Amino acid sequence: MTNVQQAAERLLGAHASGQPCEPVRDLVGGVEEAYAVQNWLTDRWLGEGRRLSGRKIGLTSAAVQKQLGVDQPDFGVLFADMAVPDGAEIPAGTVLQPRAEAEVALVLEHDLPHERHTVADVVRATAFALPAIEVVGSRIRGWDITLADTVADNASSGLYVLGNRPVPLKDLDLRLAGMVMERRGEQVSTGIGAACLGHPLHAAVWLADTLARLGRPLRAGDTVLTGALGPVVPVVPGDVLEARIDGLGDVRAAFAKEPYAKEST
Amino acid sequence: MNRLAQRLDEAALSRTAIAKLTEETALDVPAAYQVQREVIARREARGEKLIGVKMGFTSRAKMIQMGVDDVIWGLLTDAMLIESHLDTGTLIHPRVEPEIAFLLERPVRSPADVGAAVGGVAVGYEVLDSRFADFSFTLEDVIADNASASGFGLGPWHPPRAVANVGLTLEIDGRTVASGSSAAILGDPMRSLHAAARLAHAAGIELEAGWIVLAGAATAAVPLPPGAHVRVSGQGLGHAEVTT
Repeated sequence: MTNVQQAAERLLGAHASGQPCEPVRDLVGGVEEAYAVQNWLTDRWLGEGRRLSGRKIGLTSAAVQKQLGVDQPDFGVLFADMAVPDGAEIPAGTVLQPRAEAEVALVLEHDLPHERHTVADVVRATAFALPAIEVVGSRIRGWDITLADTVADNASSGLYVLGNRPVPLKDLDLRLAGMVMERRGEQVSTGIGAACLGHPLHAAVWLADTLARLGRPLRAGDTVLTGALGPVVPVVPGDVLEARIDGLGDVRAAFAKEPYAKEST
Repeated sequence: MNRLAQRLDEAALSRTAIAKLTEETALDVPAAYQVQREVIARREARGEKLIGVKMGFTSRAKMIQMGVDDVIWGLLTDAMLIESHLDTGTLIHPRVEPEIAFLLERPVRSPADVGAAVGGVAVGYEVLDSRFADFSFTLEDVIADNASASGFGLGPWHPPRAVANVGLTLEIDGRTVASGSSAAILGDPMRSLHAAARLAHAAGIELEAGWIVLAGAATAAVPLPPGAHVRVSGQGLGHAEVTT
């Protein structure tokens, strides 16, 4: 078994058992190898019949990039079964070591197949934007991650919740859009569009270019989670988080109080 | 009180940082506000005029850092209003932060007056310059030091509107060095205005028509270098700019 397979199997084991695993950086050194792990997992999941619904961009804030010692974002794959309706209860234990962040989601109506894209290409390809809460998670114990670990682990993807009111880009000033996330009315995170690589559309351009180069371009219908607008928030069972993005509206992530296992006993 | 106010005033005038007042003198919060009033009285004696108030410790992070559970305020005079240029050579160790400002068109004597009193909102910046060495102080020190107030500037006034979740950026020489949402100001800068009214009521001060209330910062303060172009932008509120 290759190192890439071994790393993928380790992560699959964590998914299957619901128990976090050790980091995979002992098996994958560089970013390219880490993406090879991610692709291995993606292909396997596609083979199981999961439907690709889009991509997420991670590591888009200066603070997080500094923390991991990187100067680039990363990306992961979204599947349709990861999408949760606004406010619908998320069973406890669905995501390992969950954390939540508020983001701008773009929904595409055209493919982005070029080697280099402009902001104009992304604007033309975008049908509308939605407010989103991404529930990230890590299969790796204690979030003890390097860049290679998080890339291999599908950019620490978990679930995502989209708001229901589409807004066209022409009605938005995403750079200066304020963001606030609250738990029971108490503020837990604030931010701004500019905190996501300077502008959420810049993050989308990076993703479009990167995916086209890797031969897996963004397609019409894809949802793009462009990256966190403010600090990520740890989640505990029972939390109901509401995010508001100025101009985009609001969206809620509701976490069940008890794990299923406890309820059934 | 007079002696402490004199030390603070002279520190500002001579551009010399001083040791914390509380290292030698025990101060409680009411006494610290008395020192603040004395500091302002000295400025008024030099011909300066009160034109508003500034709110401090309006972010949860700052309150936790300072171990307090209420906001503080400082007083603003006309000499603190910056038009377009600021000579940082007159300051000790200036910092700048993006703010939301309110213009009062009616006097505010109690929180009940706030709703009808706001005549305008603007984006602005505040220049902080603690008179204490290393920007290090206790709650009582910083109150006595007029909440580190040094100067401020404003963008254009806009008709009253919701400012609960306005994105704000602070650029120095065209680069964004800090950004955030006005929601970081007590959840909504209007709450800061209510707090100003409450503190004014308790202190027996009237917030006058025409006064400005700086509601608080949306981000941490950033060192303000000389020879810089600083610009604060707020969604839908335009810009406030200053060169140093």
